[in-house]
Amino acid sequence: MKLWFSLLMGLKEIGAHKFRSMLTMLGIILGVASLLACFALSEGMARGLRESMTQFGGIERVDILSQDPPEEQIGFADISPGSTVADAEIIQRRASLVTCVSPESNLKNAALTRGAQTFRATVDGCWPDFVAIKKHEIAAGRGITQLDLDEARHVCLIGQSVAKNLWPGNKPETAVGQSMLINGRPFTVVGVYAFYERSSDKTRREQGLERPSAGRKDGLPGGRKSSNPYKGWDMFSIKNLAVQIPITTMFYDFKSANVINNVDTGPNYKLDKLTFQISDVSRFQEAIEQTRGLLENTHRGIEDFTYYTREDSIESMEHSIKSIRVILGLIAGICLVVGGIGIANIMLASITERIREIGVRRAIGAKARDIFFQVIVESSVIGVCGGLLGLAAAFGLLGVIAKLTESEYTPVVALSGVLISFGFAVVIGVISGFYPALKASRLDPIEALRYG
Amino acid sequence: MPLIELTEVAKRYRVGEQEIAALDGVNLSIEAGEYAAIIGPSGSGKSTLMHLLGCLDTPTSGRMMIDGVDASRASGNQLSELRNRKIGFVFQSFNLLPKFNVLQNVELPMIYAGLRAAERRQRALAAIERVGLSNRVKNTPLQLSGGQMQRVAIARALVNDPRIIFADEPTGNLDSTTGESILALFHELNVQGRTIVLVTHDKDIAARTPRRIEMRDGKIVAGNL
Repeated sequence: MKLWFSLLMGLKEIGAHKFRSMLTMLGIILGVASLLACFALSEGMARGLRESMTQFGGIERVDILSQDPPEEQIGFADISPGSTVADAEIIQRRASLVTCVSPESNLKNAALTRGAQTFRATVDGCWPDFVAIKKHEIAAGRGITQLDLDEARHVCLIGQSVAKNLWPGNKPETAVGQSMLINGRPFTVVGVYAFYERSSDKTRREQGLERPSAGRKDGLPGGRKSSNPYKGWDMFSIKNLAVQIPITTMFYDFKSANVINNVDTGPNYKLDKLTFQISDVSRFQEAIEQTRGLLENTHRGIEDFTYYTREDSIESMEHSIKSIRVILGLIAGICLVVGGIGIANIMLASITERIREIGVRRAIGAKARDIFFQVIVESSVIGVCGGLLGLAAAFGLLGVIAKLTESEYTPVVALSGVLISFGFAVVIGVISGFYPALKASRLDPIEALRYG
Repeated sequence: MPLIELTEVAKRYRVGEQEIAALDGVNLSIEAGEYAAIIGPSGSGKSTLMHLLGCLDTPTSGRMMIDGVDASRASGNQLSELRNRKIGFVFQSFNLLPKFNVLQNVELPMIYAGLRAAERRQRALAAIERVGLSNRVKNTPLQLSGGQMQRVAIARALVNDPRIIFADEPTGNLDSTTGESILALFHELNVQGRTIVLVTHDKDIAARTPRRIEMRDGKIVAGNL
């Protein structure tokens, strides 16, 4: 009941000095708004980054790349056959902790042609598991099969951007069954992947809100319509530009001759990459060791291969997200503290103005703690009101930010962010009222009555 | 047992090196239902005595019993409660809260006493009626005349049904006619059995009270029974 009364008192006091209270609150409003905006921006960024990371195959995907053997092995490094399909085969047969495996042989800058339409992209020769490892989804048609692989058929799986570029004006799914040329050799499209996009873009598209930068929609990096040619280089655009063929076809059609300065140096059946997926992430290190043992066999002890895991990049990504959060939060926190100092200042002025009133209250029976509580409630009311207005301001601010900057990552307002920023404002309100309240409650009633 | 009983009460202040005795060995007893005036020139210690009696302060030495409670050894919270429940104050400058209306001003002591809203309202309205301001309940103090403000202050002093009312120069800021009516109100309250202690330097006012306690240099020089 006294609490309710103190609350009314606080509101009355704020109402009596509207302009002064607004100025005081402004510090808290800006502090809360910036804190929530920081939370939302960093959350949006974190989600965007994690989404890209997942598109890339997630933490369970591991790549094996070739590297130069160590110094002490250089002399006899030639005994290693290098990365070959045999590596993939032995992992497939023997590595129990690995679910999917696919070798990769790339044909960079291959010319993709259909009729008058032509453009260049990277073509990957791979195994059927490739689709699963790279987290691809087949929207129409089928994937590459073992039979395609065994017979080295001229079939390919293409991304939506490829389909759009080669069959302009048609639905990408209609490309299934059609023919196209890769470096002049005919291939049949057997499947088309789904369209990959950021989930925030997807919602926009479904709501009918087209992004102004439509150039990126066609998926062509550096497309003529896009003002910023690099804007398209994200995981989603890269996946939309995928072209996959059986690795056997890749070897027979594109790798059996390697002409350098008019001299054929013979076929190149080395892998560019070996990719596999671990069944259980909690046994990550074990799986790595298992495959390492197998590869040491096929490579005859030569360490001319290395692992590339997402773990490191995920870790560094999480780390930078965290430090961005800390820095932004710190700045916003300082804003709030400054706001708190403003409250403390005004409360001090306000109790000096009301020393006599405090004396009267004491004389008619208010205890020191009643006075203390009243001042604390007043400053808390400023904190709470400032906090609420700050939240409203933050939503407005985020709306403007999202519209103006058209940032890569849409800000995400999480409930925890709202609660933390609001809670912080309330805590600041209470803390900044503490010293003025202490001062007010310690006034000598007799002197307070004589004051003024 | 007297309502108020002071035994060898002293109040000393330290000003720099010097110690000043504002009250020096005061013995005083006031019975329930009395109407007394404390008089004396300025600096005689009457304000200090009034603050002690009003439980705003505690004596440096001596014993002070208020309605059977030893106020000389009470804690800050206990003093607040004594002021709240047993004592009503009327000040020279009224000391109403300007942002509150008449009703809210009168309700204030009951809020600190922890009464429920309905009871607060009922008792506040009764007290306001008692001082004849029922038509001014929703006015703020600034819309009232001096005499009306002092009546509101008296209603506020009465509302917790205290054992004793202290009035510090209650007519000091009023013209003589209005002061007259306030004094008449005090007289009326006393006739109804309320204990009232006035502090004044006005001999004419003091002359109307049945008992005059005269102070000089921190001592009671006349009027002690």
